[in-house]
Amino acid sequence: MAELHIIGQIIGASGFPENSLFCKWGVHTGGAWRLLSGLKEGQTQVDLPQIGDMAYWSHPIDLHYATKGLQGWPKLHLQVWHQDSFGRCQLYGYGYCHVPSSPGHHRISCVTWRPLGSWQEQLAQIFVGGGPQLRSPDLIYSGADRYRLHTEAMGTVELELGIIMRHFDKYGVDS
Amino acid sequence: GLSFSQSKGESLQQEEALLEPASRLQSLRDRDTVTRFDREVDPDRAGRHDVPLDLSTRVKFREAARRVRPKKQTNSFMYKSFEAYNFFTFNFEPDPQDGSERSSRKRKKLKKAEDLFVIEQSSQDFLEVRKAEYVGYRKLIQRERESELFFTPSFRTVPTSIKLPENMKPRYLEDEGLYVGERPPVSLTNENILENRILKMEEKWFGDDGRIMALPDPIKESSTRPPLFHMEEDLDPALQTVYRKVRYTPTATLRSPPDPEGDYQLDVDVSGLIFSHHPLFSREHVLGARLAQLYDQYLTRQHNNLTGHLTDKLNGLRSALRNMLEIHGGQSLTQAINTRQLRDSEQEKDRTLLKNIVKVWKEIKALREFQKFTNTPYKLYLRRETVDQASDEQEYEDEIFAEVVELEAESEEDYQRKLAEYKKQLEEWKLSRRKQELSESEGPLEEGPPKPEPPEKPDFDSIEQRVREKASRIRRKPGESILIPELSASGNITASELCPKAEIARREDVARRSLFIKILYNDKEVSRTDSRSLNTDFRVHFGQIFNLKIVNCPQSINLQVFEEIGSSCSLLAQVFVPVPEPSVLTGGVPLEEFEFSSNQRVMFDHEGVGSDVPLSFEADGSNKQTLLTSGKLSCCVSWGIGEDDVPLAPPVSQQPGGMHSGLGRLDAVSYIGASGLYDMKKIGEWATQSRLDPNDPKNSSIMQLLKVASSGEVTAPEYFRLEQLQEEFNFVTDEELERSRRFRLLRLRNQEVAEFRNYKCVPALEREVTDKVFQDYEKRLKEGEIIDTKEHLDSHRALVAKYLQKIQESVINRFLLAKHHYLLSDLVVEEEIPSIGILGLNLFKLAEPKRPLKPQRKERKKVTAQNLSDGDIKLLINIIRAYDIPVRRPQSKMLNFICFYFSKPGQSPQTIQGSDWLFGQVQVRPFVEVSFQRTVLQTTTADGPNPCWNEELQLPFSAPNGDYSTASLQSVKDEVFINIFDEVVYETGTDKDRGTTHTRAEKHWLGSVKIPFSTIYSQSRIDGTFKVNTPAVLLGYSKERSHGNSGGYDILRSLSEGAFITVFITIEPQLVPGESIREKFDSQEDERLLQASERFERDAAQGYPDRPCITTVIDLNGKTVFITRYIRPLNPPQELLDAYPNNPQEATGLVARFVSLIPSLPDRVSFSGACDLWSTCDQFLTLLAGDEEEHAVLLCNFFLSMGKKAWLIIGTAIPEGPTAYVLTFEQSRYLIWNPSSGQYYGQYDTFCPLQTVGCLVNADNVWFNVQEYASPMRMSFDTTKAKLWKPFFSRSFSHPGLSSVQPEELVYRRVDKAAATELQDRIEKILKEKIMEWRPRHPTRWNRYCTTTLKQFLPKLELSGGRDMAEGHRHELQSLLGDNRISGFPLHLPFSEIRPIIEAVYSTGVHNIQASNVEFALAVYVHPYPNNVLSVWVYLASLVRS
Repeated sequence: MAELHIIGQIIGASGFPENSLFCKWGVHTGGAWRLLSGLKEGQTQVDLPQIGDMAYWSHPIDLHYATKGLQGWPKLHLQVWHQDSFGRCQLYGYGYCHVPSSPGHHRISCVTWRPLGSWQEQLAQIFVGGGPQLRSPDLIYSGADRYRLHTEAMGTVELELGIIMRHFDKYGVDS
Repeated sequence: GLSFSQSKGESLQQEEALLEPASRLQSLRDRDTVTRFDREVDPDRAGRHDVPLDLSTRVKFREAARRVRPKKQTNSFMYKSFEAYNFFTFNFEPDPQDGSERSSRKRKKLKKAEDLFVIEQSSQDFLEVRKAEYVGYRKLIQRERESELFFTPSFRTVPTSIKLPENMKPRYLEDEGLYVGERPPVSLTNENILENRILKMEEKWFGDDGRIMALPDPIKESSTRPPLFHMEEDLDPALQTVYRKVRYTPTATLRSPPDPEGDYQLDVDVSGLIFSHHPLFSREHVLGARLAQLYDQYLTRQHNNLTGHLTDKLNGLRSALRNMLEIHGGQSLTQAINTRQLRDSEQEKDRTLLKNIVKVWKEIKALREFQKFTNTPYKLYLRRETVDQASDEQEYEDEIFAEVVELEAESEEDYQRKLAEYKKQLEEWKLSRRKQELSESEGPLEEGPPKPEPPEKPDFDSIEQRVREKASRIRRKPGESILIPELSASGNITASELCPKAEIARREDVARRSLFIKILYNDKEVSRTDSRSLNTDFRVHFGQIFNLKIVNCPQSINLQVFEEIGSSCSLLAQVFVPVPEPSVLTGGVPLEEFEFSSNQRVMFDHEGVGSDVPLSFEADGSNKQTLLTSGKLSCCVSWGIGEDDVPLAPPVSQQPGGMHSGLGRLDAVSYIGASGLYDMKKIGEWATQSRLDPNDPKNSSIMQLLKVASSGEVTAPEYFRLEQLQEEFNFVTDEELERSRRFRLLRLRNQEVAEFRNYKCVPALEREVTDKVFQDYEKRLKEGEIIDTKEHLDSHRALVAKYLQKIQESVINRFLLAKHHYLLSDLVVEEEIPSIGILGLNLFKLAEPKRPLKPQRKERKKVTAQNLSDGDIKLLINIIRAYDIPVRRPQSKMLNFICFYFSKPGQSPQTIQGSDWLFGQVQVRPFVEVSFQRTVLQTTTADGPNPCWNEELQLPFSAPNGDYSTASLQSVKDEVFINIFDEVVYETGTDKDRGTTHTRAEKHWLGSVKIPFSTIYSQSRIDGTFKVNTPAVLLGYSKERSHGNSGGYDILRSLSEGAFITVFITIEPQLVPGESIREKFDSQEDERLLQASERFERDAAQGYPDRPCITTVIDLNGKTVFITRYIRPLNPPQELLDAYPNNPQEATGLVARFVSLIPSLPDRVSFSGACDLWSTCDQFLTLLAGDEEEHAVLLCNFFLSMGKKAWLIIGTAIPEGPTAYVLTFEQSRYLIWNPSSGQYYGQYDTFCPLQTVGCLVNADNVWFNVQEYASPMRMSFDTTKAKLWKPFFSRSFSHPGLSSVQPEELVYRRVDKAAATELQDRIEKILKEKIMEWRPRHPTRWNRYCTTTLKQFLPKLELSGGRDMAEGHRHELQSLLGDNRISGFPLHLPFSEIRPIIEAVYSTGVHNIQASNVEFALAVYVHPYPNNVLSVWVYLASLVRS
């Protein structure tokens, strides 16, 4: 009955072609984990930075898990979206990272990628926006045949997570 | 090339700098010959510096440069540099005017020079030119061929027979079933040529099949890895190279090959040290250190939990043994025995450790007591965990029994073994005896073995004794609570001033000392820590990290602890730290503790115990101990990490091998994908499809696998298993996880379950969460089905209440999610930027004349509810004025008149009671009392039937459970009671001696207005004139209008009856009312209709924001329904229609009354503001609760079935806010009905509570009010005028024929008189009890006679519909009760539950009469209407005998 607190924030993102961005996020865990309190998914506001390339969200994450096993350690999956001047939203990147397994403060930069479509799709993307998206976003953190997917690298999302672990040592997990 | 030219240029420059102009000229000329520059750059010319540069020469120079260009390939750079040099340094003389002459002169000069050359060196004299010797290829070939050195193999096929040894037939291994790999493809011609050549060479190169021996084709058909796209970018960082300059490293003595980046770094982290003994320890410190050590030991033991493991193992072994015994019979027990012994020893250790801890703690306590001061902060708590006595005892006995059985078995076995041995020995002995006997004749032989002794029988009785003894020694006694020691360092240390002198000296000595640590690397001091003073707890914290940049291979790292006293320092101890492995990096290593000690002998004359000095804690000085200075140094040494996380450690010598194993099967991976490898079927498929050679040794493993798989030995499981191996690695079971109370509490709080929604602090420890927390919650879950009839008095209503609660719960759950959806406006508060117009208006306002006597109400800042606490919120109630308060009537009018007329003319009328009225003096002295949440405040007393108070009352408000969230505030069910009383002063007697009069004030209830808090909350303010609910009969008061009143109100007042009060109510600070939930509901309506209704409502809201417009509503199932579907003629109960067969007017009134008798329950309260749900009429009549809309719909439907023209009005009223009324058209005038009170108003009635009319609804259409005014008085209700009313269905969008959601006919339950009577008795009983309860200090007497009289009046009142027809019965009452002063009134309420009735009775304050001779009368009458609608009358009176 070990407990894990994940307290932190999604600071922002940089390195994307445009910078009016927002982010959808979620935490995926295995079956051994129980969410005691907190929201395990959410969406940030759209940030339109006036200066600089980095979009800041400072979106809080505060989760409290109880677990009966180590399998399925929490993973954070992210989707960065771009909202253009017409208010249209399009996908700019998928990314995922493991929640750190050592207690303390962690600064994580999560790189993101975006599926690359056929050349027609790419051409359309240049002129009218939009673009290919994953049919099932679960693929971000699962699936084996991923090498068939052609992707292009997008920017990075900065995260700051504080990890508090409790009673893991009781079950022989050194933290 | 470039560098060369540069250096050349440089050298040229140097030359130039060094040489004289002449010599330079010379050198340049040399160069000119080399570069063939001579023609253009004339040395003569070049030499002249004094002539300025001319344009034409420059042109010439350029020409020269161009001509030279073809030679660039050979020495372009040189040329370039030379050209550049020329360009920058040379000065060219201008061309003379006659160019031809100059050129001829030049030529001449050149010729001269050539001639000179020829004469001096003529090579032709020594050399001779010859042709190169050459033999043509053909000739060569021919020559070779002639000498037969070459062999040209033919390309014809060689017969097999030649290739094989003689008399051998070719053998084909493939045919024989052996594996032969596929040969690499070679063209036939080539093969033939090769074969021919090999035959010529006569070497054995042919296999048995007559073909050249060949290895299988090594080339794979397909690529084994997925294609790489960006070769350069995706290069593995480990493979990337970086250019580094050559660098000189003075001493590269590290074992590894000299790395150019040879700076390694060792991080030495010196955290601190703790003394386990120090010469300056006092006795208490010694004990404290021992205690801490023991506690540490205890903790580690506890952590390892050896005893527990061993016990588990023992139990496992025992059960295994039992199984074995069952199967095989007796077997060896040794392992169990060993384990048990181990376990016992561990248990004993545990026990002694605990005992020791307690013992040391006791010693410390004793010492502290003895020395009268405390030196150490240690405190030991022993936490008791109680155990179940019975089960514990059972366990204890079981354990002993098991052990005894084992021991018995063991000794039995031992015995058996010994016995067997004995028997064997006996046999041997007998044999030898016999032999001896036989050989006795032959002479004395060696002595035979002695006769063996039979083994002793084991003593089973003593075993149990022994086991018990041992158990009592090493184990907890059964039932004894488990002691868990907890050591904390939170105690107080006695201040120095309170200590004896020796102790003070010791402490001072401690304070003088300081410590530092020197770090020696390879026996050289490299660094030292700051010197830190010794703390009283003998811990020193350094917390310093030293980064040692090293070049030499580390041999030793030594930390020396020094102690400093004043200026002298001494080495205390040395600690050698091992050199870390290269994999040990900074950040990943925990601090290690190294023990050190010193054998210095130190003695003190103060309290310090010294070192290497015998010390005793016993009183008699025995049991001496010698303690040496010792301690633990916590530090760690690791290799540093440089930038980019590169470890600054020497490389690890061996590389992990076996990286590329298993690559052979990668084709399969590319074929079926990585995941497919686990799928037997796919592999099999692939194997058959790719015609995998079963004989290929490479494929043998796959073939094996397939064979095994197909044979069925290993079957792939049919099911798919998520999270494999989860079970095996679980920490705890699911049940245990579920059982955790703390987790449950946390989750319930997170789910916002009502009981835990605002639970503040959840304890951190499991044992601190008690089961008590869940009691309420579990009770609620359990009692969901049980119906509490006590609260509701009526089983039907109890059922309904439960049903309502269920709906409520489901609705709330539905909205819980929706509540977490936010809009921008929920999160961002943006003050509106004032437009130019408003700005101008404000400026204009500045110029307005100030009117201090007419203050304006200002908009206040709104406060969100979350940061409020008890006492922050106040209810402000401004009582302004009242109209037409009932006036007192003389007690006995007739009597008065008689007195007046028949008394003697001279008699003063003052003596006659009630004469005030006659003279129009004090008719009534009303005051207002406001009660809310049992806080009661009152205004001053005013005079007359039209009093003006203008007073503000502040009532505190507290939310339930201190929860000030919007949802919670919306569900507050409290109501504000505004009661009007008359203050009556009676003279009780006159004290004639002093000239004073004793008076007693009594208050008589005249009427009340009640306003629910939820209305105030949602409206944020209530401002208006309300009709006061006056009882139908007010004994002693008349509702006749006061005569001769001036003022223009008379005309208006004539249209309405009753008293009115003007109030203003608001909440301070202003709260943000909760908003209704925005959620799209699914609907069965046509999509087109929904869109149209949305458009209609949007247009309405834009055009007239203050007029409510509803076209769709939500039914109880949570579906959107068009509003007209609710309107349908429905039959009222037949009994009501039969009551007045000839008087339709009366029947209408009765129907309205019936509807108003159904209790009102605002949706806002029941659904916590979530939404407005509309129930259909049959649902409404079943639930017997609903808000104004349901009442209005029902009333409207009744009216329609009675043949009236009726509409539903959607509008706003006071105090309800947005509500629904009913409009009827009768006798060419419009009537507005308030469905919840049953009252009706004319269109032009001043005191009509309806303020604005938004829209009208009937079964066919919805009309929105687009007139200038929305007040019913100033508008027209003629819906046919399109200019005034905008219809929803028009010609362009016609009515699609919507069917009604209402039933065709309503079925009513019959009147149940018996139940009503029963209820009546119960209410009466409860009320009487309550009144007595409210008068705890006074006796409450009941006047039975009066009660029976009152009881007879009540049914009459019900029949009359509560209208004032009480004149008769008052007289009756008066005559019956004679000289009793009686005040009282009937209360009328629709019945829902008992609580509102009690509240209403309480608010009248009848029980407050303090007079000693007061008597009470209480009568209750419940009149049943069809369908269990009940009308409750409570007649309450107080009688004072005068």
